[in-house]
Amino acid sequence: MRHPKRTTGRKIRLATAALLLVATTMAACGDDGGDGARTGAPKAPATIPELSADPLTLSFVWFEWPPAKALETFANEEYKKVRPNATIKVNTVPNANWHDAMFTQFAARKTDFDIAILDSQHIGEAVTNGNILDLTDFVKNNIEVEAYDPYLLAAYGQFPQAETGRRDENASLYGLPLLGDTWTMIYRKDLIGDQPPQTWDEMISAAEKCQTENPGVSGLAFHQANGSDAAAVTYNTVNGVYGGNLWDAKAKKIEGVLNDPAGQEAMDVLVKKMKPLTAKGSGNWFIDEVNAAVAQGKACIAFNWIAASGGLLDPEQSTLGKSREQILDKLGFATLPKQKTDLVPLGGMGMHVSAYSPAANQAEALNFMKWFEQADIQKKWAAAGGVPSRTDAIQSPEFLNAGPFNKVYADSVPRMRDMWNVPEYARLVDIENTNVNAALNGAKEPKQALDDIAKEQQAVLDSSGRKGGGGL
Amino acid sequence: MPPARGRSPRLTDRRLAVLFIAPALLLLLAMSVFPLLWALYLSFTDYSATRGGPAAFVWFGNYTAILTSAQVHQRALTTLIYVVGAVGLQTVLGFTIAYLISRRTRGRGLLTTLFLVPMMLSPVVVGLFWRFMLDAQFGVVNSLLGSLGLEPVEWLTRQRTALISLIVVDTWQWTPFIMLIALAGLTAVPRYLYEAASIDRASEWFRFRTITLPLVWPLLLIAVLFRAIEAFRLFDLVYILTSGGPGVSTETLSFHVYKVAFLGFNTGTASAYGILMVLVVIVLTQLYLRYLNKLKED
Repeated sequence: MRHPKRTTGRKIRLATAALLLVATTMAACGDDGGDGARTGAPKAPATIPELSADPLTLSFVWFEWPPAKALETFANEEYKKVRPNATIKVNTVPNANWHDAMFTQFAARKTDFDIAILDSQHIGEAVTNGNILDLTDFVKNNIEVEAYDPYLLAAYGQFPQAETGRRDENASLYGLPLLGDTWTMIYRKDLIGDQPPQTWDEMISAAEKCQTENPGVSGLAFHQANGSDAAAVTYNTVNGVYGGNLWDAKAKKIEGVLNDPAGQEAMDVLVKKMKPLTAKGSGNWFIDEVNAAVAQGKACIAFNWIAASGGLLDPEQSTLGKSREQILDKLGFATLPKQKTDLVPLGGMGMHVSAYSPAANQAEALNFMKWFEQADIQKKWAAAGGVPSRTDAIQSPEFLNAGPFNKVYADSVPRMRDMWNVPEYARLVDIENTNVNAALNGAKEPKQALDDIAKEQQAVLDSSGRKGGGGL
Repeated sequence: MPPARGRSPRLTDRRLAVLFIAPALLLLLAMSVFPLLWALYLSFTDYSATRGGPAAFVWFGNYTAILTSAQVHQRALTTLIYVVGAVGLQTVLGFTIAYLISRRTRGRGLLTTLFLVPMMLSPVVVGLFWRFMLDAQFGVVNSLLGSLGLEPVEWLTRQRTALISLIVVDTWQWTPFIMLIALAGLTAVPRYLYEAASIDRASEWFRFRTITLPLVWPLLLIAVLFRAIEAFRLFDLVYILTSGGPGVSTETLSFHVYKVAFLGFNTGTASAYGILMVLVVIVLTQLYLRYLNKLKED
């Protein structure tokens, strides 16, 4: 009787395959359950544990831009003097992949970096998911907190988010400042004069006049792309200057706040007055494209992050002069013009220790952060091209003389405002980016775009109790 | 020479066959079947890869939300326009080029090889150099238009031109695929049929309509099927060229799934979204294959 025997064998094989599948599934579920049980960030020790004497590589993750290279060079030169066995490696990814590169590794509960350089708005997501260490006790014992502008310390480390301009001393800290930043206005002294415009309206008028008088040169250049936080930061900046608010943080309310008359006026100014002064096809410009337009003499006035502006003074990358001095005869750097308020966007990033890094690397990371935040090191970092956050370093000649835009940063510190630092940040910024980009490129009416942003962002904040379809 | 040793009685032909295919089957199970089943399980939950914690069942909540979402409908329409536009254009161009090449006797190999070059490139590389070529300020395409006295075009930052640009770039890269398969079909048409038609003094058009097209058609439809499935999954060109913009006007379904999966890490929703996309492909492929079989039978 061959037939029944074969059927039995097939059944056994099928059963074995099914068991294998179930076992694999259970293994996957089991692993998840163990780590998934973690809520909130694990605590870092208050004192630095004993450091390893073996060769050790301390890895960072950041996005590809000049400060990343500057950090790696600076840290390897200076930190090696105190820790010869440590090598610093700053791994970089394209800006558009920065959030995903860090958080997909966090999701896997295994990171190839020890220090994540998070944007200030990423902190909420990382803390809520338990991805980074709580540094509150470590900071109390090792960092001179009074040496910083309170808002800078809060912006790069505190969660829940601080009120604009303040720090809540009872709140926990999850990071320490690495690189401060804000927008600078870059203007052509040879085309609009030595004195920068003082108000936003004056700035638009100067750009319009300059564009009319200089064919081939556009009046303005600024971030408009729908990737990263490009177009969103541009709108938020104009929103702040025209007296608008991004949200009511306490009530978690966006609809009716963002799209109030001040917010609408800001959107109208951006789309109807500023956009017509930009170059044709600039609707996907971000940091590099704005810098290229300035360096090629194609823009009268531009806005960009200070930390990304160093290359503008490089004669090899510019058509404005054959030396730094010649370029500086034509280019001026100023704080943003004021209008109804004097707010400027807070940029920059902090250092955060990965919760999944080996213990020896976490100890080295804490030691590095303590070393980096010292007054003399912050001044050296400033001289090497970094933007420090300690007040003494910001006011030091090493920093103020290192670049013509550094005074702009020093003057902008009391004027800074950040976006929302909540776990839903990535979705909020995507909604704003895509809608502002649509308005700038004629795919949506400005009012419609602003109302859509407010409505969709509010839906994201309100969706915590939703059953299914999260993320749509 | 002594006779070869007999095989162990336990090692039957059947067992030997199972032993040989087992590694491949295990690999398939681990890399394809298990992830698919795991995604199916997650699609009924509110699981998030970053938040962790136990996955709570929402049953068909994710599916209902996706199928009723206006955002998803908009991306589906964009994807449909893209698939029809790109695959249609590629089919016409690919078949035309193949037909012209098949009529040549000299240099056919060289021409075919040259036409295949775009297909060999990585879509990311293709996206990057087309992004430079289509740049409104310094791109070579607008420079050419300028030399002809035409106004520059905002290829990647206007709603209509952005989607057309995606279709053109995809067509540039994948027309050779259709061409290659059509060429294989054209060269397989028996010569005696054309000879018989010549004896009957059949016109060129008559020969094309009654001999060439009916014989190449089934093969061409298979090429169209492959291309349509690929185009339906389009992600890389969108990511590099337009990032889904302006606004979300060039966001395809795959690009939207990526955002759902990695911006908010809504793994449950993204899994349901992925499963629905697989189902759409399977259903459409089945209908298509039935049509193909019917065509063969006829």
